[in-house]
Amino acid sequence: MEIFANLAHGFSVALSFQNLLFALIGALIGTAIGVLPGIGPVATISLLLPITFGQPATTAIIMLAGIYYGAQYGGSTTAILLNLPGEVSSVVTTLEGYKMARNGRAGAALATSALGSFFAGSVATVVVAASGPLLTSVALSFGPADYFSLMLLGLIIAAVLAQGSVLKSIGMVVLGVALGLVGTDVQTGQQRFTFGIPELSDGISFVALAMGMFGIAEIILNLEKPEARSVLKTKVGQLWLTKEEWKRATPSVLRGTLVGTVLGILPGGGASLASFGSFMMERKMSRGRAMFGQGAIEGVAGPEAANNAAAQTSFIPLLTLGIPSNAVMALMVGALIIQGIQPGPRMVEAQPDLFWGLIASMWIGNVMLLVINLPMIGMWVKLLQVPYKFLYPSILVFCAIGAYSTNNNVFDVYTTVVFAVIGYMFNKLKMEPAPLLIGFVLGPMMEEHLRRAMLLSRGDPMVFIQRPISASMLAIAAVALLAMTLPNLRKGKEAAMAG
Amino acid sequence: MKLSAKDIASGLFLILIAAIGLWLNEDHALGTARRMGPGYMPMLVFWLQIALGVLVILVGLGSGPDPLERWTGLETGSLILAIIAGTVTYLVAPSISEFFTQTYNGVGLAMLVGFLVLCWAAGWRLLGYVCASLAFFSLVLEKGGLMLALIGTIGISAMADPDHRARPLGVLGIMIFLLALCWWIFIKELDIRVAVWPMQN
Repeated sequence: MEIFANLAHGFSVALSFQNLLFALIGALIGTAIGVLPGIGPVATISLLLPITFGQPATTAIIMLAGIYYGAQYGGSTTAILLNLPGEVSSVVTTLEGYKMARNGRAGAALATSALGSFFAGSVATVVVAASGPLLTSVALSFGPADYFSLMLLGLIIAAVLAQGSVLKSIGMVVLGVALGLVGTDVQTGQQRFTFGIPELSDGISFVALAMGMFGIAEIILNLEKPEARSVLKTKVGQLWLTKEEWKRATPSVLRGTLVGTVLGILPGGGASLASFGSFMMERKMSRGRAMFGQGAIEGVAGPEAANNAAAQTSFIPLLTLGIPSNAVMALMVGALIIQGIQPGPRMVEAQPDLFWGLIASMWIGNVMLLVINLPMIGMWVKLLQVPYKFLYPSILVFCAIGAYSTNNNVFDVYTTVVFAVIGYMFNKLKMEPAPLLIGFVLGPMMEEHLRRAMLLSRGDPMVFIQRPISASMLAIAAVALLAMTLPNLRKGKEAAMAG
Repeated sequence: MKLSAKDIASGLFLILIAAIGLWLNEDHALGTARRMGPGYMPMLVFWLQIALGVLVILVGLGSGPDPLERWTGLETGSLILAIIAGTVTYLVAPSISEFFTQTYNGVGLAMLVGFLVLCWAAGWRLLGYVCASLAFFSLVLEKGGLMLALIGTIGISAMADPDHRARPLGVLGIMIFLLALCWWIFIKELDIRVAVWPMQN
């Protein structure tokens, strides 16, 4: 079976000293930012992107991936101990997890979260490994029209599942595509919307845009909120579960893994959606559902498994089809492109080191995170005591240096400032930035596919409906849009988002 | 009044950008559907954006009261003043020093002055200080070196937090820590190509 040979190769790549080191760094940073409220994987990854340029692509992605799924582990720590979610995907963990801590079962909650996440992560790793060759062969029968429709589907689902108004999110997607148009038109060589500025001939700096809107704008918004840090009163207790708790948690972990694996693959899905979905499921279906509201372990086990599974399977559309399913994946696309790698179905064949190495590294990363989160938990609790006012100058400084070092040009730092202001404005107007980022990344690719599709069909737009793959993509997109106009579903989504 | 002012403003913003885009796109050849020129995709995208902007406004007319934050007189005033100050600085800068005609130094100084003026109003202070600190960084980095740029960045951004304003020694501590950390990570380990100290020009 070829898959074993490939996995073996992947492990040999992942176990190199450099890749192990960077997986560890990623896991540590991920846990740290997961624990710290006010800074998340999107901001951190955009901040650290420039640092990865000096490394080979595999190492870079390994570290960035470690940050993403590491943050899912770390976010649960504050959620359980302080009723403060470190990450959006840990919001539901606060509900039952904090109650468990109040009942003196903090240790059990933390252990469930870490062990459940590890199980889910392992399963997800296998799924990613299996999906690669499978989806790639499907994707090779894709023509440009099919790609265009698939990307369109991805954008629509990203907008539909984003927080807030779907209509405005679609507007943001389109705005993102428009921003992606700035630069040199590949086919004709003509400069578009560059105002004669040479630094813009390659387009707006992706790193500057991401850092400005997600990093800096978030700093400003965090400073606006008064800090509410509750003192840690609950004792952590033993990090293990009783037999009864094992019995209750296991089915939840299994269900959560399933939910997370599926929802992670969905374009627009991701860890947050998975944890909400799992929580609702557990509340309806688990044996201990009567205990919800007083500290039910199912409410921790399921969502924590789900968010970890989703964080890893969200790599699947990226690695096999080249389509980012959420903002973090959009950043990964950016990182790959800057490394000179074209994401797409050919990538599995062209970059086997990257694909299989990343998969093996994900599993290794999960092992590392289990160690980091259980025995070393005391360290993270200490980290929580650091007030934000000491953190933000550091984040700002790293952003500044990072933006500069992309192209060794201060223009990129100015771009960051501009997008920080724009990002701040967007937040005040309740316009979601994540769809914009996905549109920005996918826009240029979509234009290329559109052009090719039109060339092949001699200008006939019906080709998008005539080709079966393209037609089905568009149909799903239409269904998703229509579904969101139904008030029931919209209320359901709002309820989930509100926690 | 079930107006959502935020939604209406969002829609207007989308329409405005799209309109500017269409105007800038006039120079670009459209081509045909079969052979798209550089202007084709922008045309599609901007028209779609206008349509969405209009829809957002229409929906916003009834989607419930969601007013924009009210700006105090001081906030509006300092915004206008900041824009004027920035523009004036940009126009005047080249005559102050040769330095400001090079690369984007004029823009940087204009940004720095503009954002600092913005800090006059308490409501704008956070945005102002954070952005001013980044503008300072860009302005000083290449000729002044990393250390000077960082000192200014940390100092200006620290002004954003009232705790820091009250305790300058704490800020000094952060500065020393960050300068050392950045030197270690960026100069020693990663060796990014940037001057550390002011260059002898």
